Formats: sequence, C-alpha cells, structure tokens
Amino acid sequence: MTAGDLVAALPFILLAGGACLVLLGDLLVHADGRAWVALGAAAALATAVTAAVIGTGDDAFAGSLRRDGASVFFAIVVGGSTAAALLLATGYVTRTSLPAAEVTALTLFSASGAVLMSSAGDLLVVFVGLELLSLPLYALTGLPRAARHADESALKYFLLGAAASAVFAYGIALVYAATGSVAIGALAAVASPVGLAGIALLLAGLAFKAALVPFHFWAPDAYVSAPTPATAFMAVVAKLGAFAALLRFGSAVTAPSAAGLDWRASVAVLAAMTLVLGNLAALGQSSLKRLLAYSSIAHAGYIAIAAAAGVVASSAIAFYLAVYAALTLGAFGVITLLANDDPRVDDLHGLARRRPLLVVLLGVLLLGLTGLPPTAGFLAKVYVFEAAIGAQLAWLVLLGVLTSVVSAAYYLRVLFACLAEGEGEPAAAPTVAGGVVMLAALAVIVVGIVPGPLLDAVQTVRF
Amino acid sequence: MIASALVVVPLVAAALCAVPWVSRAARVIAIVASLAVAALAAWSFVAGGSAGVRAAWAGVLGARYAVDLDGLAAVFVALAGILFATGAAASGRVGHRRAYFALWCALLAAVDGVFIARDLALFFVFWEAMLVPLAVLMWEWGGADRRGATLRFLLYTMGGSAFLLVGIVSLAVARGTLDIDALAARPIPASAQLLPAMLFLAAFAVKLPLFPLHAWLPRAYVAAPIPVALVLSGIVAKTAVYGILRISLALFPQGMSTAAPLLVALAAVGTLYGALLAMRQDDLRRLIAFSSLSHLNLIGLALFAATLVSLRGAIVESVSHGLVVAALFLLAAMLARRTSSYALSRAGGLAATAPVLAGLSTLAVVAAVGVPGTSGFAGELLALAGAYERYPAAAAAATLVVIVAAVYGLGFIRRAYHGPPLATGADLGWRERALVVPLLALVVAVGVAPRVVTDRVSDDALPAVEVTR
Repeated sequence: MTAGDLVAALPFILLAGGACLVLLGDLLVHADGRAWVALGAAAALATAVTAAVIGTGDDAFAGSLRRDGASVFFAIVVGGSTAAALLLATGYVTRTSLPAAEVTALTLFSASGAVLMSSAGDLLVVFVGLELLSLPLYALTGLPRAARHADESALKYFLLGAAASAVFAYGIALVYAATGSVAIGALAAVASPVGLAGIALLLAGLAFKAALVPFHFWAPDAYVSAPTPATAFMAVVAKLGAFAALLRFGSAVTAPSAAGLDWRASVAVLAAMTLVLGNLAALGQSSLKRLLAYSSIAHAGYIAIAAAAGVVASSAIAFYLAVYAALTLGAFGVITLLANDDPRVDDLHGLARRRPLLVVLLGVLLLGLTGLPPTAGFLAKVYVFEAAIGAQLAWLVLLGVLTSVVSAAYYLRVLFACLAEGEGEPAAAPTVAGGVVMLAALAVIVVGIVPGPLLDAVQTVRF
Repeated sequence: MIASALVVVPLVAAALCAVPWVSRAARVIAIVASLAVAALAAWSFVAGGSAGVRAAWAGVLGARYAVDLDGLAAVFVALAGILFATGAAASGRVGHRRAYFALWCALLAAVDGVFIARDLALFFVFWEAMLVPLAVLMWEWGGADRRGATLRFLLYTMGGSAFLLVGIVSLAVARGTLDIDALAARPIPASAQLLPAMLFLAAFAVKLPLFPLHAWLPRAYVAAPIPVALVLSGIVAKTAVYGILRISLALFPQGMSTAAPLLVALAAVGTLYGALLAMRQDDLRRLIAFSSLSHLNLIGLALFAATLVSLRGAIVESVSHGLVVAALFLLAAMLARRTSSYALSRAGGLAATAPVLAGLSTLAVVAAVGVPGTSGFAGELLALAGAYERYPAAAAAATLVVIVAAVYGLGFIRRAYHGPPLATGADLGWRERALVVPLLALVVAVGVAPRVVTDRVSDDALPAVEVTR
C-alpha cells in the first residue's frame, strides 16, 4: 500500500474510523448522546472537506479504487448529507431515547459503504460497499423497538436486501465467467449471453438499492419504520451509492459494445415504470412518511431518465442528486420537528397558524420536489430532460413532465393541509434540526436563482 | 434596469408585507408597489423603451437572465400595475393580511416577470411562479367551492405547462440557446415548426382559455375572492395573449399559420359560446366569467388570424377587457354587498336608490358590449376587421357576438337596476367611487384615442402574416 492508496481511501477511512471511534468511545466514556451524534456529524463533514481538498488523482489499489471527478463529487455529497442527517438526529435521539452512539455509528458505516461504492473500480469493491451500505440500514430500520411493525419491516427489508445482494453477487460471478475479470471496465468486453445475463443481474441488484420499480417493495415500509433522521439518510445516501455504481457500470457498458443499447433500454423501461408507479402510488397515501417514500421512489425515476441517456448525462444526474439530497433531507427534517414520528397528512392541519416559518420552508421544499421554479428542483428536472431529449428519449421526457403534474397533486395536498384550519399535532421545539431544514430550503432557493457554481462543479463529474 | 425593477419592487413589497410590525400598512404597501410598477411601465412607454439586461444564469442549460421592456411589454405591465393596485385597494376586509398581501405582491412580481422575460427558461420560471400565489390566494380566501376550483385550475394549467416545458427543453437541445431574440433571428425550418408551436400553444390555450379548454374558468372565477378573480381575468389571462404574441407567432409563424384555420374556428365558436352562455346566467360572477370567455376567445381569434390590424386589435382589446372586467367585478361586489347575493334574481330596481352604481354599471356594460366611444369598440372593431382580411367566414360569425353581448349586457342592467324594486341599498360611497371611476375613465380614454395604446408598438414588434390576395 502506497501513500497514494491511503490518500485515495481517506474519505472512506474517515467515515469508518469515525464510526469505530464513536462505538469505542461510548464503551469507555459516559457522555450525553448528543455528543456522539455531533462527533459523527463532524466526521462526516470532515469527509466532505477532505474529499474536496485531496481532489482527483491516480487510481489506487491497482485500479480498484478510483479518484476521478465522480468519486470526489459523490464523497462530498455523501459526507454533507450524512452530516445533515446526523444533525437532524441530535434533538431526535434524546426525545425518542434511541441509543445515540449506535445510531451514529451505523449511519457512518453505511455512509462509508456509499463512498466505497461510488469510487469503486472493481465489481468486488462495489459488492463490499453495497453490503457495508446495506447492513447498517437493516439495523437502523429495526432500531425503534417500540414502533409498530419495526421488526417486521426490518426483517422484510433484510430478506429482500439479502436476496438482492445474492443476485448481485451471482451477477459478478457470471461476468467473471464471461470475461475472466472483475474490473468494471471489463463489462465493455461482455458479448456472450452468460455475461449479458450477469450484467442484467448487476442492474437488478442496484435497482433494488435505488428503489426502482419493480424492485421498490421494501422502501415504503422501511422508510416508515426507521427513525426519521435515518429515513432521510436512507433515502439520500443509499440512492447516491446506487446511482454512482449504476453510472460506473453504464459508462463501461455504453462504450460501443453489444450490451450498450440493451442497458440503456432496460434503464429506460425501469425509469418509465418507476415514474408512473411511484407518482400514482404517492397520490393515495395518508401517512406523510409513506408519501415521501413514494416521492423518493418517483425521484429515482427522474434520475433514471438521465441514466437511460447514458454517460453523457453524468453531470445532469450529479446535479439532480445534489438537489434531491437537499430537498429530501429538508422534507424529512420537517417531520423530525413534529411531535408525532409518523404523522398523517391531516395531522398537519393548523400548522401554518402555529409555525408559519416552518410552513414557508416546507412549502419551498415541496415546490422543489414538484420541480417548480424558482427552486433548484426545477433546474434539476430541466437538466435531466435536456439530457434525455439529446439522447432521443422524448417519450420518456413527456412521461416525466406529465408525472410531474401528478406529483404536484400530492405535494400540494401536503401544503394545503398545513394551511387548513384545525389543531393537529403540536410541533416540537425548534432545535439544530430546524437549522438544517432552513439551510436546505435556503440552498434550494439560492441554487435555483444562482445555479452557476453548482452547475460548474458537476461538469467535473466524469466516470 | 427598469425591467428588473419591475420584478424587484413587488418582491421587496412582498417581503415588507410579511414583516410583522409593518403588516398594518400591508395594503398601502401593495397599492404603492403596484402603482410604482404602473408608473415605471408608463414612463418607459413614453420614453420609448429601455435597454435590456442580459446576464449569465444557467448557461449549461442554455438559459440566460434576459429581460427587456419594450413598448409591447410596457402596455401589459402598465395594465398589470393598474389592476393590481385596484385589486389591492378593493381587498379591504381580508383576514391574515400579512400572508394575503405578501402573496399578492409576489403574484405581481411573477406577472411582471412573464412580460419582461426574453429567455424562454426565464419566461417559464415566471409563468409557473404565478401559479402558487394564485392557488394559495384562491384556496385560503376563496368562496364555498374554493377547494375543487383551485385543484381544477392547478391541474389544467400545470397540464398545459408540462407541454410548454417539453417544447422549451427540446428547443434548448436543438438550438443551444433559449434567448427569444436569438431564436427569432435564426428561424426554425418551416416544416419543423408545427410540433413546437402546438407544445407552446397547449400552455397558452389553457391559460387564455381557448374553447374547449375552459372548464376551469367559471368555477375559478366564482370561487376566487373578487380581487383575485379581477386579476385572474384582467391580467393573468393576458399573459397567454402576450405569450402567443411574443413567442408562438414570433418563433413559429409557419407552424401557427398551418394550424390557424382550426384555431380561428375554435376561437370563433368560443366567442359565441361564451356569450350565449352568459345570456343564461343568474349568478353575476358566472355572467362575467362567460362574458370574459367570449372576449378572450375574440382576442384569440385576432391573434390566430395574425394580420397587422388584428394584432393591434388584440392588444387594444386586451387592455380594454382588462379594465372593463375589473370594473365589472368591482361593481358586482358592490351590488352583492347591497343585495347580499350575486344572484340577479334577488336584485332589481336598485337604480332608484343607487343611481351612481346603476350609471357606472351601465357604462361598464356598454364598454363590454363594444359601443363606440368606449375602448371595447376600438378593440373589437380592429380585431374583427383585421381577422376578416384572412378568415372572413369566422370573423363574420364572431361578429354576431356583438348582438348577443348586447342582450346579456343590457339584460343584466335591466334585471339589476330597473323593474320592480326587489332590493334597496345606499348609493356608492366615495371609496367605492374612487375604485371604479378611474378604470372607467381609462376605458373612455382608450375608446377615444386607441392609438395611444398601440402607437409605441412598432410594426416590427408584431409578428404579422402578410395577407396575399
């Protein structure tokens, strides 16, 4: 192992090391739970800063760990999102008396898996990252023992997730059988039916993590029963890892080769199904968390539109993921500010009277999720649609804009519920989480009005 | 710089209205901001336009911040300022004043933005930005049917906008720029214009609304609070007129020309259909709604015919309809305050006790019908005469609307103010007069000298089609 290898692995080391530190510290020292959460957030933030500082460079570990623009960008977004999710948890863990150190350590381990996945140059590293990402999430889902169905949905999530991992591992085996290599770059050389079947299994495994229809069944249950800050984390970071790996595979496969067209067509079909089902299913939800769960499934569909356009759309996807991270963290952050952990939409009645600022922030986030200007959500959608039109996927774009109109119906339902008369749930006192929500809403507006810096930053995202 | 100020001033006013300790003055702030917008536009109109502003925004997406205020935009912005000031002044007794007037000013900013934007992405931003303030104003402060009406309005307009977005995105990919002037300078091949023309028109036709896409209109006009209905009909519908004029006809002249026979026919049908339905209404707001539908389709007819005369007619008629419908909505509210109902069957004989109300209503109706000397006459004459050059049959059929309009207009006056005295009420107070008289004075002024409105709009700014005989 050279110094270069160590530098390349630094974001991963910081996250995993931070997790170990929190676990050990909790054994040795008796401290307020919030201290561990804050330490974890600091480690995640340090990861983001470190990734930005070390920048791109040569691949490490004989090409199994990449240090390109994409891995840097994803490490920054994963670090930032993890820090935000942990900050959402500061007040939450004391209120719900969850084990703070465990929540923090599990979150950091999972984040380290996402970082590993997004910088992998090798299918086995992707697999290790995938498992490292997933296992803590199963545990987080089952953590609130008191909540109804937490055990059930954790077990369901675990069983389905284990099956998806097995499928993914089998895909690696088939690709290895076809090409004799586990490097991601070797996917370009696949031509035999066995290898193509392997690629299909790899796609299925990642689609599970990204919650693309029809691999989404675990998501709503897991999202509802996990502690809300963990839900926010899950919705953002699991998607970041999955789409980063998906794009890495896509960039190898869509190089002029036999599998290129099939890959893009498959992703396009997944995108279409996800858009339609995610948005339609969200319409009928009465639980706010479940509604946002389907909304995040639907957003995976919009990202998949660009993924279907191929590697030319990397920048559009990176932009969309960054904006989606802010929107989702903010929206789930609003739920952490409510007294009830699983509020129904009707519980929001009267919120505008009691907490007008919170409703304004929620309104901005919901507009962003709908993709309405002047938020960054609008530009993200335009970027994705432009990439898809450029790749002759006009039918997918038309489906995308029409399902956006459908999405307006359920997002606005939430907003109008806040405006309605009524008592509803009392809101918790504003804490650090309130600051995170405000920051997310502000970021969404500022990027919508001055998108230049972020647009420039995503131009460096190359796989 | 003036152009940007037209958006910034209302936004600052919106922020001010939301601040707790100034909320007592929220209505005054809203009125002052609206009048400032009108004054800026009028000044720029007289001075002959301003220098546009172009700055970087989202270059990768082909979008720039490009705004300009030429004569054509200034006419519409000035109308917006006048109507928003009137509407704010008429919002005397609303609850939750901070939120109401903040949204009111935000809506004005968005409407101004639509008129000054010279980049399609920026245009779309402002176009969609109008929706949320409008929807919340209707949802929170509307009448009995507000929920259903708001949702229907939202789904119709967002459905239209979805096609507009596809059109804009495909233009951005195909041309690399979304600057309206740059796009106009390098025309799209004639054979490829029909599809984008229809995608853009989908949004404009819903917002106008062109027959048969008008199902949201009567419900929205009845459910919305009177000041919101006033701006919805008076100026928000005109953003569609402006969009067709500035974008559809300018960028896709051949595409629009190909579709023109069908569009003109639909508009002619809509003109008559709206007027015929207006004849049968008992609710005064529904009467105004269908009368508006008729007038707006007449404007559409003039736009789709796209001769130089008809386009000038569309502009004059837009201004005229904006002023007249505002006066009608205000007078309807004043009438309803006296009879406790918008039902015409509950009014009658009010002229005896409220002669000024009756007189002003008669003047407004006369202008709506299009009697010479009022703005309605000038607008309708230019619109129909211009359309006749290209589509004589449709224009001739639409001309029948003048007769139907006289029937429903004078029917309203007769039922509300004459005949057996079913209701009594005091005459207009000075506040009420101060709201309506300026609007009607402008109606007469434009009627006497319609040239003032269109003189500053150069022929080059009008994307007219050459009429060959």
